[in-house]
Amino acid sequence: MDTIYKQPKKQILAKFSLLILSFFLSINSVSAQDGEKIFKQNCAVCHSLGSNPIVGPGLQGVISRVPSEDWMFKWIQNNEALIKSGEAYAVKVSTFSPAAMPSFTSLADGDIKAVIKYIKEYKEPAPVAATAASGATAPVEKPTNPLAILIGVLAFLIIIVAILRAVRYSLKNIQNAKKGLQNEAKVGVWKEFKNTVNAHKRTTALVIIFLLGGGLSSGWYALKGIGVYEGYQPTQPIAFSHKIHAGDNAIDCQYCHSGAERSKTAGIPSVNVCMNCHKGISKGPVTGKTEIAKIYEAAGWDPDKGAYTKPQKPIQWIKVHNLPDFVFFSHQQHVKVGQQDCATCHGDVKTMTTAVQVKPLTMVWCIDCHRATEVPGMQSNPFYEKLHKNLTEKFKNMPYDQRKITVDRMGGIECSKCHY
Amino acid sequence: MATKKYWKGLEELNNSSEFVQNAQNEFAEQIPVENFSETENLETSGTNRRDFLKFLGFSVTAASLAACETPVNKAIPYVVKPEEIIPGVANWYASTYYDGNDYASIIVKTREGRPIKIEGNDLSKVTMGGTNARVQASVLSLYDSSRLTGPTANGAATSWGNTDLEIGGKLAAIAAKGGAIRILSSSIISPSTKDVIAEFSAKYPTTKHVTYDAVSFSGMSKANAQTFGQEVIPSYNFSNAEVIVSIGADFLANWISPIEFSKQYIKNRKVSKEHAEMSKHFQFESNLSLTGANADERIPVKVSEQGKVAVNLYNAVAKIVGGSSLPSSALACDAIIAKAAKALAENKGRSLVISGSNDTNIQLVVNGINDMLENYGKTIDIENPTYTHQGDDAAFTDLVAEMASGKVDVIITYNTNPVYTSPASLKFAEAFQKVGMRISFADRVDETAALSQYVCPDLNYLESWNDYNPKKAHYSLAQPTITPLFTKPRHEGTRQAQDTLLIWAGNHDGYLSFIQKTWMEKVFPMQGKYMVFSDFWNHSLHDGAIEVGKGDDGALATPVSDSTKVAAPVVVSSAKAKPVKEVKSDITPELIRVIQKINLSDVAQKINSVKSGELELALYEKVAIGNGNQANNPWLQELPDPISKITWDNYVTMSPKEMAAKGYSLMKRQDRKATLLNVTVNGTTIKLPVIPQPGQAEGTMGIALGYGREKAGTLSEKTGVVGKNAYPFVQIIDGTMMYGALSVTVENTNETTSIAGTQIHHTLMGREIVRETNLENYKKNPKSGNADEMMVTHSGIKKAATIDLWNEFDRPGNKWGMTIDLNSCIGCGSCVVSCTAENNVAVVGKAEVMKTREMHWLRIDRYYSSDMNKEVAKEDGVGGMEMYLEMENPAEENPKVVFQPIMCQHCNHAPCENVCPVLATNHSSEGLNMMIYNRCVGTRYCANNCPFKVRRFNWFNYNENPDFALNPTQDDLGRMVLNPDVVVRSRGVMEKCSMCVQRIQEGKLDAKKLEAPLKDGAIKTACQQSCPTNAIYFGDLNDEQSEITLLRNREAEGRNYFILEELGVKPTVSYLTKVRNCEETIEEGKKSSGEHADVKEEKAKA
Repeated sequence: MDTIYKQPKKQILAKFSLLILSFFLSINSVSAQDGEKIFKQNCAVCHSLGSNPIVGPGLQGVISRVPSEDWMFKWIQNNEALIKSGEAYAVKVSTFSPAAMPSFTSLADGDIKAVIKYIKEYKEPAPVAATAASGATAPVEKPTNPLAILIGVLAFLIIIVAILRAVRYSLKNIQNAKKGLQNEAKVGVWKEFKNTVNAHKRTTALVIIFLLGGGLSSGWYALKGIGVYEGYQPTQPIAFSHKIHAGDNAIDCQYCHSGAERSKTAGIPSVNVCMNCHKGISKGPVTGKTEIAKIYEAAGWDPDKGAYTKPQKPIQWIKVHNLPDFVFFSHQQHVKVGQQDCATCHGDVKTMTTAVQVKPLTMVWCIDCHRATEVPGMQSNPFYEKLHKNLTEKFKNMPYDQRKITVDRMGGIECSKCHY
Repeated sequence: MATKKYWKGLEELNNSSEFVQNAQNEFAEQIPVENFSETENLETSGTNRRDFLKFLGFSVTAASLAACETPVNKAIPYVVKPEEIIPGVANWYASTYYDGNDYASIIVKTREGRPIKIEGNDLSKVTMGGTNARVQASVLSLYDSSRLTGPTANGAATSWGNTDLEIGGKLAAIAAKGGAIRILSSSIISPSTKDVIAEFSAKYPTTKHVTYDAVSFSGMSKANAQTFGQEVIPSYNFSNAEVIVSIGADFLANWISPIEFSKQYIKNRKVSKEHAEMSKHFQFESNLSLTGANADERIPVKVSEQGKVAVNLYNAVAKIVGGSSLPSSALACDAIIAKAAKALAENKGRSLVISGSNDTNIQLVVNGINDMLENYGKTIDIENPTYTHQGDDAAFTDLVAEMASGKVDVIITYNTNPVYTSPASLKFAEAFQKVGMRISFADRVDETAALSQYVCPDLNYLESWNDYNPKKAHYSLAQPTITPLFTKPRHEGTRQAQDTLLIWAGNHDGYLSFIQKTWMEKVFPMQGKYMVFSDFWNHSLHDGAIEVGKGDDGALATPVSDSTKVAAPVVVSSAKAKPVKEVKSDITPELIRVIQKINLSDVAQKINSVKSGELELALYEKVAIGNGNQANNPWLQELPDPISKITWDNYVTMSPKEMAAKGYSLMKRQDRKATLLNVTVNGTTIKLPVIPQPGQAEGTMGIALGYGREKAGTLSEKTGVVGKNAYPFVQIIDGTMMYGALSVTVENTNETTSIAGTQIHHTLMGREIVRETNLENYKKNPKSGNADEMMVTHSGIKKAATIDLWNEFDRPGNKWGMTIDLNSCIGCGSCVVSCTAENNVAVVGKAEVMKTREMHWLRIDRYYSSDMNKEVAKEDGVGGMEMYLEMENPAEENPKVVFQPIMCQHCNHAPCENVCPVLATNHSSEGLNMMIYNRCVGTRYCANNCPFKVRRFNWFNYNENPDFALNPTQDDLGRMVLNPDVVVRSRGVMEKCSMCVQRIQEGKLDAKKLEAPLKDGAIKTACQQSCPTNAIYFGDLNDEQSEITLLRNREAEGRNYFILEELGVKPTVSYLTKVRNCEETIEEGKKSSGEHADVKEEKAKA
């Protein structure tokens, strides 16, 4: 089971402190590793490898800009001292941003060399077309229209019947000719069908009953499916990939869907949450700059100037998981109190390129789960103390496997728990 | 057994055959089939059955195909989410409601930045967490689409830039040439606003500020000026008063500070076995008011007699305590006056006499009585005045005269609507139009704004910053709970009046910083708790209301600079603050007793010289509409009047006896055929229906103010103007407004009209559901008036409650329960509006109310009862038949009134649940009767099987059907008030009280998240929260320490009872017997109109 959802309340804070801690730890432990790793750990927060500035300037062609490689060592290891010494270029560079660059005293010359090598050798990956990329990451089977299959099969059967009929007719005539009998009179298809039906009344009746039953039952299931959108996967205005964020980069679900523990809705993150990271990351591994540019558009961010200068335009996401408005579902009840994993209802989001509804979200689906699930924290939560005691008492004489205090036994399938 | 009789309306009392027949029907009328075919009448329709089936088949197919399509729902998150908002979680802000009349410190619930509910602020020492119907409904007035979206000049929209330029230029020019500038406003209790006006006046020195209240208390402050040299309205403390005598003051509904007084009043009327004491309340009045309905003894007197009652009471008290008497004239009710005087004199310093009259003379006499009774400094606090009503009638009359003579160049009206509210005799509109420049700050084109050249729309109070000083030493703040609805770029936008005045005065700092400056300079030094202003400000803003140490005159004009004052005990806003009384220790009674000797004899002479008329008129304010400033609010229009139970109208109330004598329609059903009268006072005539009102003093009639608003907003376009304007009837006598007239002529137009009353809707067929006793009996036997229902069984006579056909159900977790103290319920209707707001209850309009289709989940039944009973009959030697006749007649003249709020009783063995064919209503393990709208198919069996008649059926899609355009949910703005936690029901489903299950779920979830047991009181239902008298208790019956469990245990052998217990439905809601502090013995037994029918038969036989 995935445990990241069970982190304590202040997990975001904890995550940050962890990040910072690992940051310092990594500085100490770096020795002869390659430049890419050092760059990503130390520099990437403020510097891009291209020409666009983040906090600091883009590092494309930086080696040709600075006076010397030695200057780079001095600058990175202790830029403050270098500026104080009055070195002309250092003074010039120090005015680039109001935020001073930290000194990386722990980086040895060798490490810095590796970074420089990495910067020099870095080439911008050619952006891959979005569709091809998503096809590559999660091959989606083109669903074939069932009607087409049906028509195909029917046509095939008709052809077979027609051929067989023709064959039988010619064979019969050959036989007749051999026996010296007259050729069989040509009977129309419809007449022959009627004759056949008349000859095999019982079989016909059975076939009709079978077809009717099949039709009714498939009709019934079709009706039951109305309003059930399992597999719903709308195209979103931004080709956001949960796989990259939650899967590859292992960002906690609640970093973005922060309402899950605090509100009835998990919430779609506001654009400023996206910008926490995407201020620095302007290019994605799959779609390059095109999709991230849409976030900038929404936030009114100008990546060239590094400032919010344009008007804001909210992103109109398409809701994937829709419940009817007479249902009140509370995320905090399930995530915080019931300690349910997000994946229980939302599936393995970490592998989804585009979010998809994997569960039917029908009432029977809710109730089945409520009948089978115990509230994990019930025994330790003082809120449930009395209820737990009473229910334990009530079911204590049941066979052992039926003593479970499931959600439904706590009243979790009563109507007005969700409908009011 | 039956000794006392209760009835809901005259039709029930008379038990007419029509009433009986109608009462048998669950629904008043036939099911309106024709309405379902929208436009065509079925009979004349060209559509035959075959076509119908074709259409049906097609539409079903089309609908199911359409349903297969996945609807695309968009989810649009914030671009930058405000830090304090978590979508789905409510934020609460402390604020203040004050509309120039009602003051309430409130907390506002907002969801995603939208205010959706108002609740009382418990931290306020003035309103103490109470609200009334008008405060509750005010959240809907925010989303009123009739509001202006920008300034207008001569009726055309303009920009603020142009307005400021034009008006600023003209003002400067007028001030320069010495032209008179007048600001006319309702009472202003905002210290900062007063400073704003001062700053404006400094810039334009010819400015004068006139205060005018639609319903004025000018006479009272004038009287106090004569008696004490201070033109103020004192604070009252009803909780310290053992005896209350009110002469026409409706202090529970409209008089000065009704929310505060309700809280205080009921504090001294909560009885228990341990504390079987309560105040004694006498009410002398003409109309049957809400306060009169709650009085222990109510005496109907004519309008002209009210002053004489005061004089005779003065004499009666003087006789006991020793004092000179005044010239007086004999009254029919002298005996009861003597009784009241005796009670008052026995409770010197613990009594209170008040008068609702605006006649200075009467108030002078009342002051004299209170002085004799040594009530000043005890129940009346003249040192700590109330500032909420500062209207000065004389100044207003002078202003009108000044305007009429053309001497006024500019008039600015703020939060007042004198064209609508001023008396006809003043001819205000005429005078107003003689003013060169007329500027209105109204938020809509109301009657006054329509006659003004410039309308500079003010913000709604929920969008503004403001500060308030309702009483000396009490301050509160209002903060915006929503960004102004009308702002750029979509609209030119509205602007707070104070900001507008400041800009015209050349100050562009903004009103917020202005308020902060005022508080820094004036309020901050008065307190000693916070050393840093920002701390003080933030805490004040958070708490909403604070109490500070007292200054010299309480007004902010003189900040406390005296070091001794600063060192004096300072009251802090925390709950641990010292009680108010200790702080008041520096008040010397001697100081108060420096009463200038006024010759009360002259005053009494004047009062005695008032000639009584044949038919007198008493104007009054209704609980819902008040002075009419929220007339465009459909929630208030649909709230039944507590006494008459009539919605959507004002009308003439008259004594039934008098109506019968005059041959007016007594109305078999209240919503049918009321006679229309032409009522004329001093040449002004209005046409109104007349309804019989038991308890109306003979020779008087009552008409409610606040109706007939022609320019209140879009509601009048949708429904027609509601009622008629009675303000023109206001008389000006001796310089003060008189809300009544002594000479009225009425003329029967021989026309009839229909009015919509809910009085006998949802009747319980005369079953006994009200229980009442009096204090004497209660002291002897705490169970008096509350006899157990007994039943004969094969094993002997048993308590009905103990017999049960079914097993008890498990309640393993919580078991919710509600108890309503009938002794505390004053019937004000605050809970009804609160419930409407909380639960998205639809407004149905007058026509549907007439068909008994109002949707209120909570109704307040009003019962009348008579004093006559078997014991009295025996004592008086009245025979059987005469006794029953007596039971009716005197009562009809002056009935006792009982209020009983009824909502779903959440029966543990609910009859509704058994009959639902689709299981759309069933029971939860927490004891709630659940209603599942999406499962309901609308058979209405449940409603038919409900003994309490609390289920409401949605006959129409009130939220979309254009016939119900008056419903706020049909308006883009109005829809914003909906509570997102409660479903908006559609046509064809049944609905009812859910006991605010959404609040229960929320409260439980909060406790679960905190990993703590549920705290008692953490969950409050909407009705409970809004109740100004704490009559409603709610909590977990499985929690042995919860307030409700303790209460029920305490009252188990006392006042607690379940209505219709004998049916075995085991309600979850219980009631506590009403206790009245009167002598008449109310015996165990109760009445029933069913039984009364037998009497009628008997009579017929005889």
